Amino acid sequence: MLFRFTGQSSLGQFAVRTLIVTAYAVIFAPVVMIVVTSFFAQEIVSFPPPGLSLKWYANALSKPEFLRGLMTSFQVALLATAIGVPLGTAAALAIVRGEFRGRGALSSFLLAPLAVPGVVAGSGLYMFYVLAEDLLDRDIKATTEGLVAAHVLLAIPWTVRLVVASLQGLDRAAEEAAANLGASPFTVFRRITLPMMRSGIVAAAMFSFIQSFENLDLSMLLVGPGRITLPVAMLNYLEFRIDPTLAAVATVQITLVGILMVVTDRFVKLSRVV
Amino acid sequence: MALLVVPACLLVLALLIGPMILMFRISLNQFSPTQLMVQALSPDNYIKAATDPYYQQIILATLGIALLCTLLTLILAFPAAYWLGRMESRWKSLVVIATLFPLLVGNVVRSAGWMALFARDGLVNTVLMKLGVVSAPLEIMYTTKAVIIGIIAVVLPYMILTLSAVIESIPRDLEYAAANLGASGARVFWRVILPLSGPGVAAGSILVFVLCMNTYATAVLLGGPRFKMMAPAVYDQFVRGNNWPMGAALAFMLLAVTMAFTVFGSVAFARRYRTG
Repeated sequence: MLFRFTGQSSLGQFAVRTLIVTAYAVIFAPVVMIVVTSFFAQEIVSFPPPGLSLKWYANALSKPEFLRGLMTSFQVALLATAIGVPLGTAAALAIVRGEFRGRGALSSFLLAPLAVPGVVAGSGLYMFYVLAEDLLDRDIKATTEGLVAAHVLLAIPWTVRLVVASLQGLDRAAEEAAANLGASPFTVFRRITLPMMRSGIVAAAMFSFIQSFENLDLSMLLVGPGRITLPVAMLNYLEFRIDPTLAAVATVQITLVGILMVVTDRFVKLSRVV
Repeated sequence: MALLVVPACLLVLALLIGPMILMFRISLNQFSPTQLMVQALSPDNYIKAATDPYYQQIILATLGIALLCTLLTLILAFPAAYWLGRMESRWKSLVVIATLFPLLVGNVVRSAGWMALFARDGLVNTVLMKLGVVSAPLEIMYTTKAVIIGIIAVVLPYMILTLSAVIESIPRDLEYAAANLGASGARVFWRVILPLSGPGVAAGSILVFVLCMNTYATAVLLGGPRFKMMAPAVYDQFVRGNNWPMGAALAFMLLAVTMAFTVFGSVAFARRYRTG
Protein backbone atom coordinates (compact mmCIF):
# COMPACT_ATOMS: atom_id res chain seq x y z
CA MET A 1 0.00 0.00 0.00
CA LEU A 2 1.17 3.41 -0.92
CA PHE A 3 0.15 4.68 2.51
CA ARG A 4 2.07 2.01 4.29
CA PHE A 5 5.17 2.62 2.21
CA THR A 6 5.02 6.36 2.39
CA GLY A 7 4.45 5.88 6.10
CA GLN A 8 8.22 5.64 6.27
CA SER A 9 8.25 9.36 5.61
CA SER A 10 5.40 11.13 7.29
CA LEU A 11 5.80 14.03 4.89
CA GLY A 12 5.01 11.85 1.87
CA GLN A 13 2.06 10.35 3.67
CA PHE A 14 0.78 13.78 4.56
CA ALA A 15 1.12 14.97 0.96
CA VAL A 16 -0.73 11.93 -0.39
CA ARG A 17 -3.57 12.35 2.13
CA THR A 18 -3.81 16.07 1.40
CA LEU A 19 -4.12 15.39 -2.32
CA ILE A 20 -6.91 12.84 -1.76
CA VAL A 21 -8.85 15.20 0.49
CA THR A 22 -8.32 18.08 -1.95
CA ALA A 23 -9.50 16.02 -4.91
CA TYR A 24 -12.76 15.06 -3.24
CA ALA A 25 -13.22 18.57 -1.84
CA VAL A 26 -12.93 20.00 -5.36
CA ILE A 27 -15.41 17.41 -6.66
CA PHE A 28 -18.02 17.97 -3.97
CA ALA A 29 -17.60 21.64 -3.02
CA PRO A 30 -19.75 23.08 -5.83
CA VAL A 31 -22.54 20.54 -5.37
CA VAL A 32 -22.69 21.00 -1.59
CA MET A 33 -22.41 24.76 -1.95
CA ILE A 34 -25.37 25.09 -4.30
CA VAL A 35 -27.57 22.99 -2.01
CA VAL A 36 -26.59 25.10 1.02
CA THR A 37 -27.17 28.34 -0.89
CA SER A 38 -30.75 27.35 -1.72
CA PHE A 39 -31.63 27.65 2.00
CA PHE A 40 -30.18 31.15 2.50
CA ALA A 41 -32.72 33.67 3.74
CA GLN A 42 -31.39 36.70 1.86
CA GLU A 43 -31.40 37.08 -1.87
CA ILE A 44 -27.80 38.19 -2.35
CA VAL A 45 -25.41 35.33 -1.79
CA SER A 46 -23.06 36.35 1.03
CA PHE A 47 -21.51 34.72 4.06
CA PRO A 48 -22.40 34.05 6.74
CA PRO A 49 -26.13 33.98 5.90
CA PRO A 50 -28.37 35.96 8.28
CA GLY A 51 -30.91 33.16 8.39
CA LEU A 52 -32.33 30.15 6.62
CA SER A 53 -35.48 29.82 4.57
CA LEU A 54 -37.39 27.55 2.24
CA LYS A 55 -39.11 30.37 0.39
CA TRP A 56 -36.84 30.16 -2.68
CA TYR A 57 -38.28 26.78 -3.59
CA ALA A 58 -41.75 28.34 -3.85
CA ASN A 59 -40.22 31.27 -5.72
CA ALA A 60 -38.49 28.93 -8.19
CA LEU A 61 -41.76 27.17 -8.94
CA SER A 62 -43.47 30.51 -9.55
CA LYS A 63 -40.95 31.35 -12.28
CA PRO A 64 -42.40 30.09 -15.58
CA GLU A 65 -38.99 29.60 -17.23
CA PHE A 66 -37.93 27.10 -14.57
CA LEU A 67 -41.24 25.30 -14.24
CA ARG A 68 -41.59 24.99 -18.00
CA GLY A 69 -37.91 24.06 -18.32
CA LEU A 70 -38.38 21.30 -15.79
CA MET A 71 -41.43 19.97 -17.65
CA THR A 72 -39.71 20.16 -21.04
CA SER A 73 -36.56 18.44 -19.80
CA PHE A 74 -38.59 15.74 -18.10
CA GLN A 75 -40.71 15.11 -21.19
CA VAL A 76 -37.75 15.09 -23.56
CA ALA A 77 -35.68 12.81 -21.31
CA LEU A 78 -38.57 10.38 -20.88
CA LEU A 79 -39.32 10.18 -24.62
CA ALA A 80 -35.66 9.95 -25.64
CA THR A 81 -35.17 7.12 -23.15
CA ALA A 82 -38.35 5.34 -24.29
CA ILE A 83 -37.17 5.45 -27.92
CA GLY A 84 -33.42 5.10 -27.54
CA VAL A 85 -33.22 2.27 -25.02
CA PRO A 86 -35.29 -0.29 -27.02
CA LEU A 87 -33.40 0.59 -30.22
CA GLY A 88 -30.06 0.40 -28.47
CA THR A 89 -31.00 -2.87 -26.77
CA ALA A 90 -32.01 -4.45 -30.08
CA ALA A 91 -28.74 -3.33 -31.62
CA ALA A 92 -26.74 -4.63 -28.64
CA LEU A 93 -28.46 -8.01 -28.91
CA ALA A 94 -27.58 -8.26 -32.59
CA ILE A 95 -24.00 -7.20 -31.96
CA VAL A 96 -23.37 -9.77 -29.23
CA ARG A 97 -25.53 -12.66 -30.51
CA GLY A 98 -25.53 -12.12 -34.25
CA GLU A 99 -23.29 -14.08 -36.57
CA PHE A 100 -22.54 -11.60 -39.28
CA ARG A 101 -19.40 -9.71 -40.24
CA GLY A 102 -18.49 -6.22 -39.14
CA ARG A 103 -20.06 -6.40 -35.69
CA GLY A 104 -17.09 -4.68 -34.09
CA ALA A 105 -17.28 -1.83 -36.57
CA LEU A 106 -21.03 -1.53 -36.00
CA SER A 107 -20.52 -1.28 -32.28
CA SER A 108 -17.94 1.51 -32.73
CA PHE A 109 -20.32 3.25 -35.11
CA LEU A 110 -23.16 3.19 -32.56
CA LEU A 111 -20.82 4.46 -29.84
CA ALA A 112 -19.66 7.35 -32.04
CA PRO A 113 -22.19 9.88 -30.66
CA LEU A 114 -20.34 9.68 -27.33
CA ALA A 115 -17.08 10.67 -29.00
CA VAL A 116 -18.46 13.69 -30.84
CA PRO A 117 -18.41 16.86 -28.70
CA GLY A 118 -21.91 18.03 -27.76
CA VAL A 119 -21.40 21.52 -29.14
CA VAL A 120 -20.26 20.09 -32.47
CA ALA A 121 -23.13 17.60 -32.78
CA GLY A 122 -25.53 20.35 -31.71
CA SER A 123 -24.19 22.75 -34.36
CA GLY A 124 -24.58 20.12 -37.07
CA LEU A 125 -28.13 19.31 -36.00
CA TYR A 126 -28.98 23.00 -35.79
CA MET A 127 -28.01 23.61 -39.43
CA PHE A 128 -29.65 20.34 -40.48
CA TYR A 129 -32.90 21.30 -38.73
CA VAL A 130 -33.00 24.84 -40.15
CA LEU A 131 -32.36 23.62 -43.71
CA ALA A 132 -34.92 20.82 -43.30
CA GLU A 133 -37.45 23.35 -42.02
CA ASP A 134 -37.10 25.34 -45.26
CA LEU A 135 -37.49 22.17 -47.27
CA LEU A 136 -40.40 20.67 -45.36
CA ASP A 137 -42.04 23.95 -44.40
CA ARG A 138 -42.57 22.95 -40.78
CA ASP A 139 -40.91 23.66 -37.43
CA ILE A 140 -38.25 21.23 -36.21
CA LYS A 141 -35.97 23.45 -34.17
CA ALA A 142 -37.49 24.37 -30.80
CA THR A 143 -39.99 21.50 -30.97
CA THR A 144 -40.20 18.55 -28.60
CA GLU A 145 -39.68 16.19 -31.55
CA GLY A 146 -36.49 17.97 -32.56
CA LEU A 147 -35.09 17.83 -29.04
CA VAL A 148 -36.12 14.20 -28.54
CA ALA A 149 -34.45 13.19 -31.82
CA ALA A 150 -31.22 14.84 -30.68
CA HIS A 151 -31.35 13.20 -27.25
CA VAL A 152 -31.97 9.74 -28.74
CA LEU A 153 -28.37 10.20 -29.92
CA LEU A 154 -27.35 10.16 -26.25
CA ALA A 155 -29.53 7.17 -25.32
CA ILE A 156 -28.38 4.85 -28.12
CA PRO A 157 -24.63 4.77 -27.36
CA TRP A 158 -25.13 4.51 -23.60
CA THR A 159 -27.58 1.63 -24.09
CA VAL A 160 -25.33 -0.17 -26.56
CA ARG A 161 -22.36 0.19 -24.23
CA LEU A 162 -24.17 -0.99 -21.08
CA VAL A 163 -26.33 -3.75 -22.62
CA VAL A 164 -23.43 -5.18 -24.64
CA ALA A 165 -21.42 -5.32 -21.41
CA SER A 166 -24.23 -7.09 -19.59
CA LEU A 167 -24.80 -9.58 -22.44
CA GLN A 168 -21.16 -10.49 -22.83
CA GLY A 169 -20.99 -11.89 -19.33
CA LEU A 170 -24.00 -14.16 -19.81
CA ASP A 171 -23.90 -17.93 -19.73
CA ARG A 172 -25.92 -19.30 -22.61
CA ALA A 173 -26.58 -22.67 -20.96
CA ALA A 174 -29.98 -21.63 -19.57
CA GLU A 175 -31.17 -20.50 -23.01
CA GLU A 176 -29.96 -23.71 -24.64
CA ALA A 177 -31.66 -25.77 -21.95
CA ALA A 178 -34.95 -23.95 -22.46
CA ALA A 179 -34.74 -24.44 -26.22
CA ASN A 180 -33.91 -28.12 -25.77
CA LEU A 181 -36.97 -28.52 -23.58
CA GLY A 182 -39.13 -27.23 -26.40
CA ALA A 183 -39.49 -23.50 -25.72
CA SER A 184 -39.98 -21.43 -28.86
CA PRO A 185 -37.27 -18.84 -29.66
CA PHE A 186 -39.64 -16.09 -28.59
CA THR A 187 -40.37 -17.78 -25.26
CA VAL A 188 -36.64 -18.30 -24.69
CA PHE A 189 -36.08 -14.60 -25.33
CA ARG A 190 -38.97 -13.44 -23.16
CA ARG A 191 -38.47 -15.83 -20.25
CA ILE A 192 -34.69 -16.24 -20.19
CA THR A 193 -32.69 -13.72 -22.23
CA LEU A 194 -34.66 -10.59 -21.39
CA PRO A 195 -34.62 -11.16 -17.61
CA MET A 196 -30.87 -11.78 -17.79
CA MET A 197 -30.40 -8.49 -19.65
CA ARG A 198 -32.44 -6.62 -17.08
CA SER A 199 -29.55 -5.07 -15.16
CA GLY A 200 -28.00 -3.70 -18.35
CA ILE A 201 -31.29 -2.28 -19.54
CA VAL A 202 -32.11 -0.66 -16.20
CA ALA A 203 -28.68 0.97 -16.05
CA ALA A 204 -29.04 2.07 -19.68
CA ALA A 205 -32.41 3.67 -18.95
CA MET A 206 -31.01 5.57 -15.99
CA PHE A 207 -27.95 6.83 -17.85
CA SER A 208 -30.03 7.78 -20.89
CA PHE A 209 -32.54 9.68 -18.79
CA ILE A 210 -29.93 11.55 -16.75
CA GLN A 211 -27.69 12.31 -19.74
CA SER A 212 -30.67 13.78 -21.53
CA PHE A 213 -32.02 15.62 -18.49
CA GLU A 214 -28.77 17.41 -17.67
CA ASN A 215 -27.64 17.95 -21.25
CA LEU A 216 -26.65 21.45 -22.22
CA ASP A 217 -24.10 21.28 -25.03
CA LEU A 218 -26.17 19.32 -27.53
CA SER A 219 -29.45 21.09 -26.78
CA MET A 220 -28.57 24.75 -26.52
CA LEU A 221 -28.78 25.51 -30.23
CA LEU A 222 -31.94 23.42 -30.62
CA VAL A 223 -34.13 25.19 -28.06
CA GLY A 224 -36.34 28.19 -28.74
CA PRO A 225 -39.11 30.28 -27.26
CA GLY A 226 -41.48 28.05 -25.29
CA ARG A 227 -39.25 25.00 -25.66
CA ILE A 228 -36.31 25.54 -23.36
CA THR A 229 -34.77 22.69 -21.38
CA LEU A 230 -33.93 23.17 -17.72
CA PRO A 231 -30.11 23.35 -18.10
CA VAL A 232 -30.46 26.02 -20.82
CA ALA A 233 -32.93 27.98 -18.65
CA MET A 234 -30.47 27.82 -15.74
CA LEU A 235 -27.56 28.89 -17.93
CA ASN A 236 -29.50 31.89 -19.27
CA TYR A 237 -30.42 32.94 -15.73
CA LEU A 238 -26.86 32.47 -14.45
CA GLU A 239 -25.40 34.77 -17.06
CA PHE A 240 -26.96 37.61 -15.04
CA ARG A 241 -26.91 36.46 -11.44
CA ILE A 242 -26.49 33.62 -8.96
CA ASP A 243 -29.16 33.65 -6.26
CA PRO A 244 -30.94 31.20 -3.93
CA THR A 245 -33.83 30.78 -6.41
CA LEU A 246 -31.46 29.34 -9.00
CA ALA A 247 -29.81 27.31 -6.25
CA ALA A 248 -33.23 25.86 -5.36
CA VAL A 249 -33.80 24.80 -8.97
CA ALA A 250 -30.34 23.25 -9.10
CA THR A 251 -31.03 21.43 -5.84
CA VAL A 252 -34.21 19.97 -7.34
CA GLN A 253 -32.11 18.62 -10.22
CA ILE A 254 -29.46 17.25 -7.84
CA THR A 255 -32.17 15.51 -5.79
CA LEU A 256 -33.76 14.00 -8.88
CA VAL A 257 -30.43 12.61 -10.10
CA GLY A 258 -29.67 11.32 -6.61
CA ILE A 259 -33.01 9.52 -6.31
CA LEU A 260 -32.59 7.96 -9.76
CA MET A 261 -29.13 6.69 -8.84
CA VAL A 262 -30.31 5.21 -5.53
CA VAL A 263 -33.30 3.52 -7.17
CA THR A 264 -31.14 2.16 -10.00
CA ASP A 265 -28.53 0.93 -7.56
CA ARG A 266 -31.16 -1.34 -6.00
CA PHE A 267 -31.46 -3.17 -9.33
CA VAL A 268 -27.89 -2.93 -10.59
CA LYS A 269 -24.68 -2.40 -8.68
CA LEU A 270 -23.75 0.92 -10.25
CA SER A 271 -20.18 0.59 -9.05
CA ARG A 272 -19.88 -2.51 -11.22
CA VAL A 273 -21.46 -0.89 -14.25
CA VAL A 274 -19.08 2.04 -14.64
CA MET B 1 -30.64 -10.93 -36.20
CA ALA B 2 -28.64 -8.43 -38.19
CA LEU B 3 -31.83 -6.50 -38.91
CA LEU B 4 -32.05 -5.49 -35.26
CA VAL B 5 -29.16 -3.04 -35.64
CA VAL B 6 -30.75 -1.26 -38.58
CA PRO B 7 -33.05 1.22 -36.78
CA ALA B 8 -30.33 2.41 -34.39
CA CYS B 9 -27.82 2.70 -37.22
CA LEU B 10 -30.23 4.65 -39.39
CA LEU B 11 -30.83 7.11 -36.56
CA VAL B 12 -27.11 7.65 -35.95
CA LEU B 13 -26.61 8.00 -39.68
CA ALA B 14 -29.41 10.56 -40.06
CA LEU B 15 -28.82 12.55 -36.88
CA LEU B 16 -25.06 12.45 -36.54
CA ILE B 17 -23.20 11.42 -39.68
CA GLY B 18 -25.50 13.34 -42.04
CA PRO B 19 -25.28 16.59 -40.06
CA MET B 20 -21.49 16.21 -39.76
CA ILE B 21 -21.14 15.87 -43.54
CA LEU B 22 -23.48 18.84 -43.99
CA MET B 23 -21.38 20.80 -41.51
CA PHE B 24 -18.16 20.04 -43.37
CA ARG B 25 -19.75 21.15 -46.65
CA ILE B 26 -21.02 24.37 -45.08
CA SER B 27 -17.58 25.09 -43.63
CA LEU B 28 -16.34 25.43 -47.22
CA ASN B 29 -18.93 28.11 -48.01
CA GLN B 30 -18.34 31.81 -47.50
CA PHE B 31 -19.97 34.38 -45.32
CA SER B 32 -21.27 37.74 -46.46
CA PRO B 33 -22.83 40.16 -43.96
CA THR B 34 -25.72 40.88 -46.34
CA GLN B 35 -26.49 37.46 -47.83
CA LEU B 36 -25.21 35.49 -44.81
CA MET B 37 -24.12 32.32 -46.63
CA VAL B 38 -22.63 32.25 -50.12
CA GLN B 39 -22.08 28.92 -51.85
CA ALA B 40 -18.39 28.29 -52.44
CA LEU B 41 -15.79 25.57 -52.24
CA SER B 42 -12.84 27.13 -50.50
CA PRO B 43 -10.72 26.48 -47.41
CA ASP B 44 -10.85 30.19 -46.52
CA ASN B 45 -12.56 29.68 -43.15
CA TYR B 46 -9.92 27.21 -42.03
CA ILE B 47 -7.14 29.52 -43.19
CA LYS B 48 -8.76 32.39 -41.36
CA ALA B 49 -9.08 30.34 -38.17
CA ALA B 50 -5.40 29.45 -38.36
CA THR B 51 -4.06 32.91 -39.24
CA ASP B 52 -6.44 35.54 -37.85
CA PRO B 53 -5.09 36.64 -34.42
CA TYR B 54 -8.62 36.59 -32.93
CA TYR B 55 -9.18 32.91 -33.70
CA GLN B 56 -5.53 32.00 -33.15
CA GLN B 57 -5.77 33.32 -29.64
CA ILE B 58 -8.96 31.33 -28.94
CA ILE B 59 -7.41 28.11 -30.25
CA LEU B 60 -4.16 28.60 -28.35
CA ALA B 61 -5.97 29.51 -25.13
CA THR B 62 -8.17 26.42 -25.44
CA LEU B 63 -5.19 24.13 -26.05
CA GLY B 64 -3.20 25.73 -23.22
CA ILE B 65 -6.03 25.49 -20.69
CA ALA B 66 -6.83 21.92 -21.73
CA LEU B 67 -3.18 20.89 -21.34
CA LEU B 68 -2.76 22.59 -17.97
CA CYS B 69 -6.02 21.19 -16.62
CA THR B 70 -5.14 17.67 -17.78
CA LEU B 71 -1.79 17.83 -16.03
CA LEU B 72 -3.20 19.23 -12.78
CA THR B 73 -6.06 16.71 -12.87
CA LEU B 74 -3.62 13.84 -13.29
CA ILE B 75 -1.58 14.94 -10.27
CA LEU B 76 -4.66 15.53 -8.14
CA ALA B 77 -6.44 12.34 -9.23
CA PHE B 78 -3.63 9.84 -8.83
CA PRO B 79 -3.57 9.50 -5.03
CA ALA B 80 -7.37 9.38 -4.90
CA ALA B 81 -7.45 6.76 -7.66
CA TYR B 82 -4.85 4.69 -5.84
CA TRP B 83 -6.83 4.95 -2.62
CA LEU B 84 -10.01 3.89 -4.43
CA GLY B 85 -8.34 1.17 -6.50
CA ARG B 86 -6.78 -0.47 -3.45
CA MET B 87 -9.80 -0.04 -1.21
CA GLU B 88 -11.21 -3.29 0.13
CA SER B 89 -13.84 -2.09 2.55
CA ARG B 90 -17.55 -2.46 1.97
CA TRP B 91 -17.70 1.29 1.45
CA LYS B 92 -15.91 0.97 -1.85
CA SER B 93 -19.03 0.84 -4.02
CA LEU B 94 -20.38 3.82 -2.12
CA VAL B 95 -17.22 5.82 -2.87
CA VAL B 96 -17.46 4.86 -6.56
CA ILE B 97 -21.07 6.03 -6.70
CA ALA B 98 -20.19 9.22 -4.84
CA THR B 99 -17.42 9.88 -7.38
CA LEU B 100 -19.86 9.27 -10.22
CA PHE B 101 -22.67 11.35 -8.76
CA PRO B 102 -21.29 14.88 -9.44
CA LEU B 103 -20.64 13.77 -13.04
CA LEU B 104 -24.32 13.11 -13.54
CA VAL B 105 -25.46 16.32 -11.89
CA GLY B 106 -24.40 18.37 -14.88
CA ASN B 107 -21.92 21.16 -15.55
CA VAL B 108 -24.38 24.04 -15.23
CA VAL B 109 -25.25 23.11 -11.64
CA ARG B 110 -21.62 22.69 -10.68
CA SER B 111 -20.61 25.98 -12.27
CA ALA B 112 -23.41 27.63 -10.29
CA GLY B 113 -21.89 26.15 -7.12
CA TRP B 114 -18.50 27.66 -7.97
CA MET B 115 -20.17 31.01 -8.65
CA ALA B 116 -21.56 30.99 -5.09
CA LEU B 117 -18.13 30.01 -3.74
CA PHE B 118 -16.15 32.54 -5.76
CA ALA B 119 -18.46 35.58 -5.45
CA ARG B 120 -17.12 38.76 -3.79
CA ASP B 121 -18.96 37.86 -0.58
CA GLY B 122 -18.76 34.13 -1.30
CA LEU B 123 -17.44 31.48 1.03
CA VAL B 124 -13.87 31.55 -0.27
CA ASN B 125 -13.47 35.30 0.22
CA THR B 126 -15.24 35.26 3.60
CA VAL B 127 -12.97 32.54 4.93
CA LEU B 128 -9.82 34.17 3.56
CA MET B 129 -10.77 37.53 5.11
CA LYS B 130 -11.68 35.97 8.49
CA LEU B 131 -8.34 34.18 8.55
CA GLY B 132 -6.62 37.42 7.70
CA VAL B 133 -5.02 35.97 4.55
CA VAL B 134 -6.32 38.86 2.46
CA SER B 135 -7.54 42.30 3.51
CA ALA B 136 -9.88 42.92 0.57
CA PRO B 137 -12.01 40.35 -1.27
CA LEU B 138 -10.19 38.67 -4.17
CA GLU B 139 -11.65 38.91 -7.63
CA ILE B 140 -11.89 35.23 -8.48
CA MET B 141 -14.95 35.21 -10.72
CA TYR B 142 -14.38 35.84 -14.40
CA THR B 143 -10.71 34.92 -14.28
CA THR B 144 -8.80 32.12 -15.95
CA LYS B 145 -8.11 30.73 -12.46
CA ALA B 146 -11.83 30.27 -11.83
CA VAL B 147 -12.30 28.50 -15.16
CA ILE B 148 -9.36 26.17 -14.51
CA ILE B 149 -10.66 25.18 -11.07
CA GLY B 150 -14.15 24.69 -12.51
CA ILE B 151 -12.88 22.49 -15.33
CA ILE B 152 -10.71 20.38 -13.01
CA ALA B 153 -13.76 19.73 -10.82
CA VAL B 154 -15.69 18.57 -13.87
CA VAL B 155 -13.06 16.16 -15.19
CA LEU B 156 -11.58 14.82 -11.93
CA PRO B 157 -14.17 12.01 -11.52
CA TYR B 158 -13.43 10.71 -15.04
CA MET B 159 -9.71 10.59 -14.28
CA ILE B 160 -10.17 8.99 -10.86
CA LEU B 161 -12.50 6.27 -12.18
CA THR B 162 -10.28 5.51 -15.20
CA LEU B 163 -7.06 5.36 -13.17
CA SER B 164 -8.51 3.37 -10.29
CA ALA B 165 -9.77 0.66 -12.65
CA VAL B 166 -6.20 0.18 -13.94
CA ILE B 167 -4.55 0.43 -10.53
CA GLU B 168 -6.97 -2.20 -9.23
CA SER B 169 -5.65 -4.65 -11.80
CA ILE B 170 -2.00 -4.22 -10.75
CA PRO B 171 -1.16 -7.17 -8.48
CA ARG B 172 -0.40 -5.96 -5.01
CA ASP B 173 2.32 -8.57 -4.63
CA LEU B 174 4.51 -6.50 -6.92
CA GLU B 175 4.41 -3.63 -4.44
CA TYR B 176 5.09 -5.92 -1.50
CA ALA B 177 7.95 -7.57 -3.35
CA ALA B 178 9.55 -4.24 -4.15
CA ALA B 179 9.12 -3.09 -0.56
CA ASN B 180 10.55 -6.34 0.77
CA LEU B 181 13.60 -5.83 -1.37
CA GLY B 182 14.09 -2.50 0.33
CA ALA B 183 12.45 0.01 -1.99
CA SER B 184 11.09 3.10 -0.27
CA GLY B 185 7.50 4.21 -0.71
CA ALA B 186 8.50 6.83 -3.26
CA ARG B 187 10.61 4.30 -5.14
CA VAL B 188 7.75 1.79 -5.26
CA PHE B 189 5.57 4.53 -6.68
CA TRP B 190 8.03 5.66 -9.37
CA ARG B 191 9.38 2.25 -10.35
CA VAL B 192 6.35 -0.04 -9.94
CA ILE B 193 2.97 1.67 -9.62
CA LEU B 194 3.40 4.52 -12.08
CA PRO B 195 4.89 2.47 -14.96
CA LEU B 196 2.21 -0.19 -14.59
CA SER B 197 -0.57 2.40 -14.56
CA GLY B 198 0.73 3.76 -17.88
CA PRO B 199 -2.29 2.69 -19.95
CA GLY B 200 -4.65 4.21 -17.38
CA VAL B 201 -2.70 7.45 -17.29
CA ALA B 202 -2.77 7.62 -21.09
CA ALA B 203 -6.45 6.72 -21.45
CA GLY B 204 -7.51 9.06 -18.64
CA SER B 205 -5.40 11.95 -19.92
CA ILE B 206 -6.75 11.65 -23.46
CA LEU B 207 -10.33 11.49 -22.24
CA VAL B 208 -9.83 14.45 -19.91
CA PHE B 209 -7.94 16.53 -22.48
CA VAL B 210 -10.77 16.08 -24.97
CA LEU B 211 -13.37 17.00 -22.36
CA CYS B 212 -11.37 20.12 -21.42
CA MET B 213 -11.11 21.19 -25.06
CA ASN B 214 -14.89 21.03 -25.37
CA THR B 215 -15.76 22.90 -22.17
CA TYR B 216 -18.76 25.14 -22.60
CA ALA B 217 -20.79 25.91 -19.45
CA THR B 218 -17.78 26.24 -17.16
CA ALA B 219 -16.02 28.64 -19.54
CA VAL B 220 -19.10 30.81 -20.10
CA LEU B 221 -20.24 31.00 -16.47
CA LEU B 222 -16.91 31.22 -14.63
CA GLY B 223 -14.94 33.01 -17.35
CA GLY B 224 -17.54 35.61 -18.18
CA PRO B 225 -18.54 37.00 -21.54
CA ARG B 226 -15.06 38.08 -22.61
CA PHE B 227 -13.37 34.78 -21.82
CA LYS B 228 -13.10 32.74 -25.01
CA MET B 229 -12.62 29.06 -25.60
CA MET B 230 -13.44 27.01 -28.69
CA ALA B 231 -16.90 25.70 -27.76
CA PRO B 232 -18.31 29.12 -26.76
CA ALA B 233 -16.73 30.59 -29.93
CA VAL B 234 -18.58 28.01 -32.06
CA TYR B 235 -21.86 28.82 -30.32
CA ASP B 236 -21.30 32.58 -30.81
CA GLN B 237 -20.75 32.16 -34.54
CA PHE B 238 -24.19 30.62 -34.90
CA VAL B 239 -26.17 32.69 -32.42
CA ARG B 240 -24.56 36.13 -32.42
CA GLY B 241 -22.72 36.27 -35.73
CA ASN B 242 -25.14 34.16 -37.77
CA ASN B 243 -21.97 33.09 -39.56
CA TRP B 244 -22.62 29.45 -40.39
CA PRO B 245 -19.50 28.82 -42.51
CA MET B 246 -17.10 30.06 -39.82
CA GLY B 247 -19.06 28.31 -37.05
CA ALA B 248 -18.99 25.09 -39.05
CA ALA B 249 -15.26 25.40 -39.69
CA LEU B 250 -14.48 25.97 -35.99
CA ALA B 251 -16.78 23.11 -34.99
CA PHE B 252 -15.12 20.84 -37.53
CA MET B 253 -11.67 21.71 -36.17
CA LEU B 254 -12.88 20.85 -32.67
CA LEU B 255 -14.26 17.57 -33.99
CA ALA B 256 -11.03 16.75 -35.82
CA VAL B 257 -8.87 17.29 -32.71
CA THR B 258 -11.28 15.30 -30.55
CA MET B 259 -11.45 12.42 -33.01
CA ALA B 260 -7.70 12.36 -33.58
CA PHE B 261 -7.03 12.03 -29.84
CA THR B 262 -9.82 9.51 -29.27
CA VAL B 263 -8.81 7.27 -32.15
CA PHE B 264 -5.11 7.56 -31.30
CA GLY B 265 -5.91 6.67 -27.71
CA SER B 266 -8.00 3.63 -28.50
CA VAL B 267 -5.62 2.30 -31.15
CA ALA B 268 -2.37 2.92 -29.30
CA PHE B 269 -3.37 1.91 -25.79
CA ALA B 270 -6.56 -0.12 -25.60
CA ARG B 271 -5.26 -2.65 -28.13
CA ARG B 272 -1.92 -3.11 -26.53
CA TYR B 273 -3.02 -3.38 -22.93
CA ARG B 274 -6.68 -4.34 -23.15
CA THR B 275 -7.46 -2.22 -20.14
CA GLY B 276 -8.37 1.33 -21.17
